[in-house]
Amino acid sequence: MNPTLSELEARATRHKAAFGGDAHIVCDNLVRIYKTEGVEVVALQGLDLLIDKGELVAIVGASGSGKSTLLNVLSGLDVPTAGVARVAGLDLLSMSARDRLRYRRSVVGFIWQQTARNLLPYLSAAENVELPMKLAGKKRERRAAELLDLLGVGYCANRKAAEMSGGEQQRVAIAVALANSPQLILADEPTGELDSETSEQVFEALRRANRELGVTAVIVTHDPLVSEQVDRTVGIRDGRTSSETLRREDAEGQIIAEEYAVLDRVGRLQLPRDFMSALHLERRVRLELETDHIGVWPAREEPSSD
Amino acid sequence: MRIPRLARVHLGPMAVLFVLALTACVLVAGLPRVTQGAFDQALRRALTGAPAVQADLAVTVESRSSQEDLHERAQFDTRDRLWHKLLPATLRPLVAPGGHMSAKTTLTPVTGSHGGRYLNLGWLSDADRRVDWVQGRVPGAPATMRYEGEPIPLIEVGVVAEAAAKMGLRPGRTVVLGENDQVAVKIVGLFEAKDPGDRYWSHNTDILHYTEIQPPNGGDMEVHTTTLMSDAGLTALSGAGRNLTYRWILPVNGAAASAQDTVGLGAAVADFGRLVTLQSTGTPYHLETGLPKLLGDFLAALATAQTVMYLVLGGLLAVVLGVIVLAVRLLTDRMDHALTVARARGGSLRQVAGTAAALTGLAVAPAALAGYALSYLVPGPVVPIVHLGPVLVVVASAGFAAARPAVTHRTPLHERRDDVVATRPSARRVTLEVLVVVLALGGAYLLRARGPAASAGQDPFLLVVPVTLTLAAAVITLRCYPYPLRLLVRLTARGRAAVPFLGLTRAARARSGSVLPVLILLPALAVSVFAAVISDGIAGTQRLASWEQAGAPIRITSPMEIPAAQVERVRGAAGVDRVLLAQTGRVQLGYGAERAEALAVDVGQWRELLGDAPVGLPPLSDGVLVSPELRGRGTLEIGWQSRLRLATRGVIDSVPGFYTQGKFLVVPLSVQARPYVNTLLVSGDASPAALRRLVPQATVVSQAETLAAIQDDPLTSTVRWTLLVVTVALAGYALVAIVLALVVGAAERARAVSFLRTLGLSERQAQRLTVLEILPMIIITALAGLGLGLLLPAALGPGVDLSSYAGGLPVGDYALDLLTPSVLAAGLAAVAVLGAYTHTAIGRRRALGAVLRLGDLS
Repeated sequence: MNPTLSELEARATRHKAAFGGDAHIVCDNLVRIYKTEGVEVVALQGLDLLIDKGELVAIVGASGSGKSTLLNVLSGLDVPTAGVARVAGLDLLSMSARDRLRYRRSVVGFIWQQTARNLLPYLSAAENVELPMKLAGKKRERRAAELLDLLGVGYCANRKAAEMSGGEQQRVAIAVALANSPQLILADEPTGELDSETSEQVFEALRRANRELGVTAVIVTHDPLVSEQVDRTVGIRDGRTSSETLRREDAEGQIIAEEYAVLDRVGRLQLPRDFMSALHLERRVRLELETDHIGVWPAREEPSSD
Repeated sequence: MRIPRLARVHLGPMAVLFVLALTACVLVAGLPRVTQGAFDQALRRALTGAPAVQADLAVTVESRSSQEDLHERAQFDTRDRLWHKLLPATLRPLVAPGGHMSAKTTLTPVTGSHGGRYLNLGWLSDADRRVDWVQGRVPGAPATMRYEGEPIPLIEVGVVAEAAAKMGLRPGRTVVLGENDQVAVKIVGLFEAKDPGDRYWSHNTDILHYTEIQPPNGGDMEVHTTTLMSDAGLTALSGAGRNLTYRWILPVNGAAASAQDTVGLGAAVADFGRLVTLQSTGTPYHLETGLPKLLGDFLAALATAQTVMYLVLGGLLAVVLGVIVLAVRLLTDRMDHALTVARARGGSLRQVAGTAAALTGLAVAPAALAGYALSYLVPGPVVPIVHLGPVLVVVASAGFAAARPAVTHRTPLHERRDDVVATRPSARRVTLEVLVVVLALGGAYLLRARGPAASAGQDPFLLVVPVTLTLAAAVITLRCYPYPLRLLVRLTARGRAAVPFLGLTRAARARSGSVLPVLILLPALAVSVFAAVISDGIAGTQRLASWEQAGAPIRITSPMEIPAAQVERVRGAAGVDRVLLAQTGRVQLGYGAERAEALAVDVGQWRELLGDAPVGLPPLSDGVLVSPELRGRGTLEIGWQSRLRLATRGVIDSVPGFYTQGKFLVVPLSVQARPYVNTLLVSGDASPAALRRLVPQATVVSQAETLAAIQDDPLTSTVRWTLLVVTVALAGYALVAIVLALVVGAAERARAVSFLRTLGLSERQAQRLTVLEILPMIIITALAGLGLGLLLPAALGPGVDLSSYAGGLPVGDYALDLLTPSVLAAGLAAVAVLGAYTHTAIGRRRALGAVLRLGDLS
């Protein structure tokens, strides 16, 4: 039976459950295109990502895959061209300049890869931590010292960047990122310039912030030390999320990692490259729906008419 | 953001900024004071140099009947106070206290002299302060006497000693005056002026001297003088039957005049004249003064000077601001990291921009204040630009410092990526640029067609044209300079050497970073070359004018023949190289009344005597050279000492040192059978004073003294001095701009060079690469600036009249003296090369990895 007009109206005005529901970070079909006359660089081409509150997620991917662009978008430093990007319920596409400033001041904190870039060299560690508080106009006494202590670099409070090791600098940078009690911290290869031992300390500091302060943490990394220790690793390829690796502890306390391909909302799926090359999958594949799975086969060898 | 600590970190750029702002403010606030001071001095010289009777304000009224007579000093005083009260406010500061009043008759004949002697009656309000009685006594009260049976007034008077001698007057004598309504004067004393040189006497020369006038009918000379009576004598002085004029002199104090106020003075004088006339009750009051004409002449000379000064100072201001903006850019580049971190960590746009502006202000504001204070050490009046200049410097630099980070850190972030280059200009921009070029060329054409502005005062059009021309040149340079480079790149691409190709490619691909140096270098060079050319033009014309006036290194002219013995003494005087005999005279042309000025001289020797002087005559062995007015007469019949028949050998515009207009001619001295030598042309470095002693009856004119007199004028010397200072300052700023441009691009260049060095570029090649990258911009901009600077005087020439700075000769023939401009351009290029080498030499010390890491930010 055809619906009546009033039923159609009711259906149109009824709110659909939004994609991602109440996830902390929602990226839906995110597109970012850098334009210059005649040349377009598509950095993100329809990226989907959901991250829940309090999660510790690593993002991995080859150089140029769009990781840093994603992080810039999430940090409010960059504006996506199309799609949906929502963090803590705030729409990053429709924010005014004032909202964006407030977002950077109170919602998000981040850490760059270059240790030198995170800190102002002429300020001491404590002063660097106080800087975001001052900029936001809400300085809290002892906050800087507490944060530095929490991250194990309390002894560096009066040192300047040049007087600290790379690991110490990065841990101070995490304290700076946490200064205004953000809900989310983003780190772009925080251990990229560090040796493995120091990397361990920095990652530990991030994990402590995540666990003890309940901050959602997103880490872009190449470092297996990091990516293999988080609950979830999201792989990005060619501006899209391609895979996810989930880790859980089994009954014996062993960590089990399972890699999943990511299915987007319209049903697109990226097959891992090594799977494709192993079976010489090219251009066309054959799918067969079984009761509990879908089979993918190489196309039959037959003379092509097109 | 802890500004003081940030300042300490960026001490280098801050110091550069401080020094630039300091020098800029000293120049921008000081130079206008100097020029304005010179303008004032010139005005004062014009006012005080003119006779008082021309400069002062005189209210006059004639008394035509006994009702209009003023018999008491109090009556004069009342009116004097009234005139002072009526003075418009703008005139009041110019009028000095201590004027005087006078009552004088004119053309009062001595009875029975048949119009041969005139003894006018006169009264001066301040006679007691002005004259000394040298014989007899001071005149007293009048009395009466009988003349031809009628009682007539007898006034006691004094006469100036000079006139008394001439007219045979002595104390005690009574003279009856007038053909009817007679009055008698009793001469009781003789006086002399206390200070005959005082400008005061310019109003009363008739009292101080006697005058001889040739009557129209050609009889004996008339002798006029004016006597001096006491205050009491006034009671007997009546306008009835006599030409009696009362005068109130309001002296103008030239020393209080200021060039800034001259424009309103003419109108104020006219106002005062109207007000004075309105006070008339009987015969109208008149204001007599030559002040408006004096001011008008001065304003005409001033307008040109001001235009040139405004152009040059405006150019200086623009360049100074440009260089400071470049330095601010260096500072904001250096602190970009801090600002980026602050912005990313939640700094609002206002906080980020405010920090940059505050840091800039911290360097510029004290510098501006110090520069402003220092400018008060410079003598000269304060003009608005003195206050405005430093404020402008601070506002412009802080404004740029705020705007640049604000634009960079505005959200959303980069819509473009820096690594993708596209240089296709928008249609709107091309249209705008074409418009600027067309307007500039059109303006220059119209200016040339129009010539100098008809009215005195500032000529805005004249000021706008050079600005648009400079802008147009900058636009053309910026738009076109990659094209020749790309051609070169194509050529070098075929060659085997990699460095020229790479260097020129980088130069041709230089982005907006090179706009600012071009915008600074171009006007800097253009204005300094313009100033140098104008200055050279004035100097050359001054020299020309001095030769035109002197005609020889030393010229001796005598009203009578110079005896051979004196000539020999001159020949023998120390420093005299050569003495050339000449004769001048007024000769008859043909057999009629036509006369011409003539000079007989050996032209060939005179030409040798002049040597490389900028004046000269065509060679003449026989015949005659004539003035343009005598052109085309073929053979001339001249009556001088004998009748001469001479063929015209050429036409000359002037005879240097002798004639510039009218009818004149030059003949060889050999045509005179016995030359009557009244002129000597002397070369060598003899002292004119010594020659004056040798030939006491003659006038000695030396070219060096004439030139010194022309150059001594305050306006002329200031104009030239200012042009020189501006040229030097602009050259300095151009060098600073190049160095700053090098430093601003240093990080990026270091990265590029380091990348190339990893590919095997040697240090020497790296240095050549840097030089090749920098040099095209400098050379092309320098050439454009040079061209513009040489073009500007030609373009503006007809609109600018600099003759008042060059002894009255028009400064038109701007010689293309390429020395100064070439030195400027070569200096710039040399410093650029030096800078580039130094830069790479410093960069060499840095480890390759550090540079690459440092630059690898994004």
